[in-house]
Amino acid sequence: MSKKATLIFSRHGESEWNVANIFTGWVDVDLSEKGLGEAKGAGELLKAEGLKIDVAFTSYLKRAIKTCNLALEAADQLYVPTNKSWRLNERMYGGLTGLDKKETVVKHGAEQVQIWRRSFDIPPPALEKDNKYHPCHEAKYKALDPKDLPDTECLKDTIARVMPYWEEAIVPELKAGKTVFVAAHGNSIRAIVKMIEGISDDVIPGLEIPTGTPLVYELDGDLKPIASPLAVEPLKFGRYLGDAEKIKAAAEAVKNQTKVG
Amino acid sequence: MFKQVDAKVKAALTRELNTGSHAIKVLMAVPKAEQEKPRARRRLAAVVIAFSVALGIRLGIATLDVSTIESYGTHTLVLLRHGESEWNLENRFTGWVDVDVSAKGAEEAVNAGRLMHEANLSLDIAFTSYQKRAIKTLNLALEELDALWIPVTKSWKLNERMYGDLQGLNKAETTNKFGEEQVTEWRRSYAVPPPPIKEDSPYHPRLDPKYKNIPKNKLPLAESLALTIDRVLPFFRQSIAPELRKGKKVLIAAHGNSLRALVKILDNVPEDKIVGLNIPTGVPLVYRLNRQLKPVPLPGHADLISGTYLGDPDWVQGKISGVKNQAKVR
Repeated sequence: MSKKATLIFSRHGESEWNVANIFTGWVDVDLSEKGLGEAKGAGELLKAEGLKIDVAFTSYLKRAIKTCNLALEAADQLYVPTNKSWRLNERMYGGLTGLDKKETVVKHGAEQVQIWRRSFDIPPPALEKDNKYHPCHEAKYKALDPKDLPDTECLKDTIARVMPYWEEAIVPELKAGKTVFVAAHGNSIRAIVKMIEGISDDVIPGLEIPTGTPLVYELDGDLKPIASPLAVEPLKFGRYLGDAEKIKAAAEAVKNQTKVG
Repeated sequence: MFKQVDAKVKAALTRELNTGSHAIKVLMAVPKAEQEKPRARRRLAAVVIAFSVALGIRLGIATLDVSTIESYGTHTLVLLRHGESEWNLENRFTGWVDVDVSAKGAEEAVNAGRLMHEANLSLDIAFTSYQKRAIKTLNLALEELDALWIPVTKSWKLNERMYGDLQGLNKAETTNKFGEEQVTEWRRSYAVPPPPIKEDSPYHPRLDPKYKNIPKNKLPLAESLALTIDRVLPFFRQSIAPELRKGKKVLIAAHGNSLRALVKILDNVPEDKIVGLNIPTGVPLVYRLNRQLKPVPLPGHADLISGTYLGDPDWVQGKISGVKNQAKVR
């Protein structure tokens, strides 16, 4: 007998490099004070909604892991089994990693930066292996197959390495009717939401996922999403928990990070 | 070799250390012919290492380094007892009640991470209980080690001993109510559990959603240390030992009694000794195990056990003796 499942996304909140307006990608920066608060807030919303999480998934990056832990703690569910995978990491930003967003616009022009940020299949230039930010220097990626370790990614690349994990690790839990919490990043969440919502390649790069605010999907026994009257365009199935106005404002704020002047 | 070096020798060694050449002088004191023999050279290296370690320990230099630690045995297992909890502050029997760490307890966790970092320890996998004071201790220590990404397995089998009807009671009040002797027996007996938790207690585990999947006949209503071991040992064998055998470096962040259970299992500590063994909070206890998962005694190891605590030895000793006085009524 197939069961209904619940899938909840929470994009981590403000990080130290969000504050500094620097392209982050795989660099393992911490949450800012505000980001810590957003994580707790997400957990409080989960608790208020009465959501009982069975299993959690997160990335290898501490801004997501801490968001996961703080949200679970605020929801009184810190004991929930949590699985971590590099496949849920943020998009790897290649040669833009560590660069200031506005400076990059001044240097390359708004259009080029917009392409690197929001193109579906055009990646930023590759990051050199001798760059201090290259993941090859980090213990956390030592076990990876070298061909899996990216020098850069476009959204298409990110999706290609997220979805195998979705299939192997997350889908079985949903098929068992579990309530699954995924605490991750803008682009790794976009990857899965694209598939669930059936969003096209040219629309998905522009989909803003507000930080901290849990995004909830109800799925039927075949993992088809159930439409929600509370869904916000362009989503048909996913609904955000919390204040609707705040959600709109938060999505706008992320968009404005590369606005110059 | 590992005993404390006396004051005169310490002064001499300090001078040598300050000139940075003491090890070289020791080497030079050995006739050249002797140095060329491989066995003699290894013995000499051991002397120099032990010498430096003894010197380091006596001068209070924090901690063994991973290179020293890894020269013993094959597998690394680190045990970490969570720090001060909110109910430690209130001196209440806690057991399975899910109280938080206090601010001090959180600081102890961060410090534990720091000590492991200073020892250059790296870890591959961690285990902890269902209780937030242990989970938060683990997360804070891992963060300090820059190892938040490692896989973590949580299990109620690593929970603190379930304290039955004593849970929630102030320790001094319990002493006044039942007498110091009875309370001591419940706290420190190997096989006598406290009275079972009452059906209408607000702290009954059946009210706690985290235990909803435990079959009713497995859900403890009170535990002795013996009963705690009965549920820790199978978990160690089924879940932890296989990781060690794979060569993973394991960290277990847990509680006084679940760690006592593990130490008893590892070091075969006798029943009458394990009950009184104080494992200090927030101090990483490092074990090296051989291929059969038997502990290899480490330099500076504590009494009765093969593992060694990280940190300044005086500080560690102070922490070990600090736990004993909780039931004393003023």
